[in-house]
Amino acid sequence: MFLKFFFELRAKELHIGLTEWLTLIDALDQGLCGSSLTQFYYVARMILVKSETDFDKFDTAFAEVFKGAQADEEVTYQMLRWLDKEELTELITKEDRELRHKQNSEDAPIDKEDVETKFKQRLKDQTEEHNGGSFWIGTTGTTAFGNSGNYVGGVRVGGASGYQSAFEVVGARKFKDFRDDRVLENRQFQMALRKLRQFSTRLEIPKTELDIDGTINKTCQNGGYLQIEMQRPRKNAVKLLLLMDSGGTMIPYSRLVNELFQTVSKSNHFKDVKCYYFHNCIYSKLYKTPECENGDWIDTDWMFRNLGSDYKVIVVGDAAMAPEELYSLTGNYRGPNGGLSGYEWLQLLKSHYKKIIWMNPKMAPGNAPWREAETAIKKLLPMYKLTVRGLNEGMKKLMETR
Amino acid sequence: MENNFQSTTEYVASEELMASVNVAIALKKPLLIKGEPGTGKTMLAQAVANSLGLKLIIWNVKSTTKAQDGLYMYDTIQRLYDGQFGEEGVDDIARYIKLGKLGEAFESEEQVVLLIDEIDKADLEFPNDLLWELDQMEFYIHETKRTVTAKKRPIVIITSNAEKELPDAFLRRCIFHYIEFPNKELMEEIVKTHFPNVEGNLLKNAMDTFYWIRDMRDVRKKPSTSELIDWINALQIAGIPADKIRAELPFVGVVVKKDEDLETVKHYV
Repeated sequence: MFLKFFFELRAKELHIGLTEWLTLIDALDQGLCGSSLTQFYYVARMILVKSETDFDKFDTAFAEVFKGAQADEEVTYQMLRWLDKEELTELITKEDRELRHKQNSEDAPIDKEDVETKFKQRLKDQTEEHNGGSFWIGTTGTTAFGNSGNYVGGVRVGGASGYQSAFEVVGARKFKDFRDDRVLENRQFQMALRKLRQFSTRLEIPKTELDIDGTINKTCQNGGYLQIEMQRPRKNAVKLLLLMDSGGTMIPYSRLVNELFQTVSKSNHFKDVKCYYFHNCIYSKLYKTPECENGDWIDTDWMFRNLGSDYKVIVVGDAAMAPEELYSLTGNYRGPNGGLSGYEWLQLLKSHYKKIIWMNPKMAPGNAPWREAETAIKKLLPMYKLTVRGLNEGMKKLMETR
Repeated sequence: MENNFQSTTEYVASEELMASVNVAIALKKPLLIKGEPGTGKTMLAQAVANSLGLKLIIWNVKSTTKAQDGLYMYDTIQRLYDGQFGEEGVDDIARYIKLGKLGEAFESEEQVVLLIDEIDKADLEFPNDLLWELDQMEFYIHETKRTVTAKKRPIVIITSNAEKELPDAFLRRCIFHYIEFPNKELMEEIVKTHFPNVEGNLLKNAMDTFYWIRDMRDVRKKPSTSELIDWINALQIAGIPADKIRAELPFVGVVVKKDEDLETVKHYV
């Protein structure tokens, strides 16, 4: 049943397994959806989708598969429900607002064609169904229409707190902000960085701490004769090196990068965090502050010598530079090149640090020929977009054991 | 449906949420609840229990909690002591098996509501360790070679703050519901269940101010429902006139908790 829906969801990168699908079929068999598409929408969503970040994908897939299935009865039922509620509570208080909305909405342009047809359909249904009604009933539809001011919105009556019809919810796409390919915020940074954890209990180091629980347990099992158990200290062993581009093209992302920096410096679960800045590309000097002032720097060589290869490296930059800035021996127009081109410095960086990723806030998809430098760097270092998903993938890459 | 969860006088649930609860009960699956802090995830279980007239068992998960803790504990130390002092019945291991919350729920003669609160606090593997137990509703006690099986399948409600990703295998078995932040209408209803006699103007002004603060882009920690309720309570007790709320922001510390945020809010007044 609805196999097309199943595959459409999978095509939208929702990883739905057979278990969930069978659960849904079970729910249908038990009649939990009634015969309403709306209820089916909610039941299917609560069974199939396990994260609010995926609600939006589900909505789009649902809209595609069930586009034609909007039944008249459902709308009518819906309208009646609304009327039940609103007639009682909001009739008078809202009347003024309704009127204004009505005037606005008549010539309001609507961007999406199919949303428009749905709106019209809805409006038509409504007048047909409640034609003999009072002035108020007529305006409900218009309010809903007007409420959708920001064009993505669906047909939503202001006060409807109960079920909305599936298509309104789908159309509203109000879970768009939860999508995990959206650019990140502070809290999400924290969550992603928490993945960067490698407990020393898992490493091959000597067992130096007394395992109290283990000792008690062993002793008891031993009939009261003391038997000492030792364990490895449980501490995060990850050391992190953050290299951040602070060049002109990064200014639009300064808030984002600043958030990342704040998060990293605040998170206390790393064994060590070092942070340096560069301008456009990495050359022989790394700056200590984001202002990148001449003199306030360290030698990149010094970093290689002093920060061992067990540091995990995150480079943050937009990799937007002219090819000569990457390839020329005099490509650094702000400071010394140190006898190597930027590309060669990056190669050195890669050969020194085994775990290294590049996070790019405005990464072009695929190999963008018009962004030669970015494409070249992408080939050299694993590059991820600075979004929730990108960062998570990056963290996974950093934690890979080879 | 014989088991039908409804909003109670203490808890206002959206219809979607009620449907989720009822579907989870009908399909005999655990219900996983996510949502912003302060949207009443934990209170839901209490409300479900009240609404269905069942007992509620709460298993609070901490960062050190292990799946085993919920099943049973074998109190070896007590047994050792008893053994040393020649206590009666030391040879009966069953005396030293203490059931955990999950075991308690299984052993109960009546159907219960089991709340596994903040499951994401525990170790990453924690949910996986419970797969079999939640699926089959039974577990095995090695020491006494006894299988504990649920007498009446408990209604399992699990809450998560999304601090950690939950494993896929676990998610596959759950019904999922995301509690959205309530809109004004629902919020009004919620506040009124707490303070049925709240004065209209005060409520309106406090709510407007509350949403105004929430909508400020640079406020880091968005205030939540429970904070609004505390605030309204404080305003009522102190008898603050409604028209002063927006202008003077009395007790704003109840709603805004961070220093930076306080400054931001004051800046806009």
